[in-house]
Amino acid sequence: MNQLFFVLPILSFILIFFLGIIVFLKNPKGSQNRTFFAFSLSLLWWLVVNFIVDYIKDLSISFRFSQLAAIGPIIAAPLFFYFSLIFPRSEKKPTKIQVFFILFFCVILLILVPTKFNVEKVWSEEWGVNFKPGWLYYFLGLYLASYFILIFKNLFIVYKKANSLEKTQIEYLLLGLFFTLTIGLITNLGLPLVGYNRLVTLGPSLSVLPFVGFVAYAIVSKHLFEIEVILTEILVGAIGTLLLFQIFMAQNTFWKMTNSLMFILFFIFGWLLTKYTFREIKRREEAEKLSQAKTEFLSIVSHQLRTPLTAIKGYLSMILEGTYGKVPIVAQKPLENIYASNERLIRLVNDFLQVSRLETGKIDIELKKTNLESLIRSTVDELWIKTKEKGLYLKFEKPKEQIPEILVDKEKIRQVVLNLIDNAIRYTSVGGINISLEKRKNYVRIIVKDSGEGLEKEEAERLFKSFSRGAAGQKMWTEGAGLGLYIAKKLVELHKGKIWAISEGKQKGSTFYVELAIQ
Amino acid sequence: MKNKILIIEDEKILAEMYKEKFEAEGFDVFLAFDSQEGLEVAKKEKPELILLDILLPSENGVYLLQKIKKDNNISKIPVIAFSNYDDQKTKNEAMELGAIDYIIKANHTPQEIIEKIKNYLKK
Repeated sequence: MNQLFFVLPILSFILIFFLGIIVFLKNPKGSQNRTFFAFSLSLLWWLVVNFIVDYIKDLSISFRFSQLAAIGPIIAAPLFFYFSLIFPRSEKKPTKIQVFFILFFCVILLILVPTKFNVEKVWSEEWGVNFKPGWLYYFLGLYLASYFILIFKNLFIVYKKANSLEKTQIEYLLLGLFFTLTIGLITNLGLPLVGYNRLVTLGPSLSVLPFVGFVAYAIVSKHLFEIEVILTEILVGAIGTLLLFQIFMAQNTFWKMTNSLMFILFFIFGWLLTKYTFREIKRREEAEKLSQAKTEFLSIVSHQLRTPLTAIKGYLSMILEGTYGKVPIVAQKPLENIYASNERLIRLVNDFLQVSRLETGKIDIELKKTNLESLIRSTVDELWIKTKEKGLYLKFEKPKEQIPEILVDKEKIRQVVLNLIDNAIRYTSVGGINISLEKRKNYVRIIVKDSGEGLEKEEAERLFKSFSRGAAGQKMWTEGAGLGLYIAKKLVELHKGKIWAISEGKQKGSTFYVELAIQ
Repeated sequence: MKNKILIIEDEKILAEMYKEKFEAEGFDVFLAFDSQEGLEVAKKEKPELILLDILLPSENGVYLLQKIKKDNNISKIPVIAFSNYDDQKTKNEAMELGAIDYIIKANHTPQEIIEKIKNYLKK
């Protein structure tokens, strides 16, 4: 146990020190990097001072240091609060009122730190130095808990708007903070409340290790600060250093030899781990570069394909509009057919590009409060002419109750609705399409019901796969590559929603449902 | 008085097509085929609106947009990014730099683009 009290703080110190330095050096001008570094320093203060309290022999110095230990968390908490405002994007700043209260409580607490309100007295025990906390000590617990609530709140708010990578980064930060808070409150507040102070000086080391662990894992797996390679080396070096230290501290030849063997084994595995990490990271970077190159290639190719199609579309539309004089009647229909075919090509290019992006996960969604009723109404207006040309009706039923605005990517959901209605138009020859919008308890439901060809059960199940059409699609002359529903499904899934279709059978129409959570 | 429009577009066939259509709708149209020329024409003619292609020879349209926004003489001219390059990152960059819209050319007829521009000019 005594060895644990010695080794753990040293290990924590090395890990936090180097993590802070590396993050800072990665981008010394970055506010996130500088704030994280300052936060690391305040944690180090807490670790070092508690270590000194346990190992210094002079009780009067121990007493002083046990009071000064509180400086670390007093400063760490507002620093991490500021970090939670600017991570992962430096978009927010604390308000003037927030700055006032942060400084006010900080100054008051720092003034009271070297007083008996914090630590009343210390004395020696068999296991080390014990202490009697004052009321300020418990107030500090409340102070820290309040900051943690604010930090969690800030990170949750950012989480909702974050992209997938940022979400993972925040998840790891939150997990690390949760464990840090739980362990710290138990060892340094909960147990002292019932008179058990043995773990107080070990508390900092125990509580910050999970935080360091989760941040480290986030760095390794998801490029938190892009320093995963160096971190692996630091970790291996730190543990190796401690094992080497253990060799010299060993009490007898047996333990010297055992520790030496452990050191040699660790050295070999550490070297292999570092080598493997280098290789993995290099492989991941190459895959990322390849994916990026593929995305750029797709964008360039679609740009190149679209350019001549734009010229055809533009000139044809001008001819049909009469810009070059009245179009001969015999030429009208052929020109319209060319225009329609060109439009089909443009749609194909758009769909292929979108499917490629969906497949490679290169589509992000921008969530904004959206009025779904207006969105559907405008989409219906857009497609009304198309249904009229086919002799079908297209109706949007006004919702029975007020539909709240929900957080969605407006353009993506507009495309989902467009694709569903477009699909319904294609597979309906008689009758028409009804669109409705319903509010349920935690979600809204968009319903697109047609009087078209209908589906067998097996068809409904595979309908949302790419390049898939129902049997009607193969029988009827329908344009399109079967991507519309697949794209709709992927876009709905990006919103963590649901999409499905039901039909009572052939010639009995189909109903498509989309559910989106109310946020 | 006619509204002046500057179209910065390197594809000559498209540039001429839009020029023809816009002039037929009563606009005074200036063309530029690369970013350097575009910047010079913008400073000289001070159009009411700029249609800016993104994939331009030698310099990307986003960089040109940056330069336009940094020049006090022309920074207030509304710019519509006008391209077949459908890249979300580029679109975000253009909008953050102050473009008022990002139009994919292939998705609109020249008449539809004119309607959009007329709406923007009314504002």
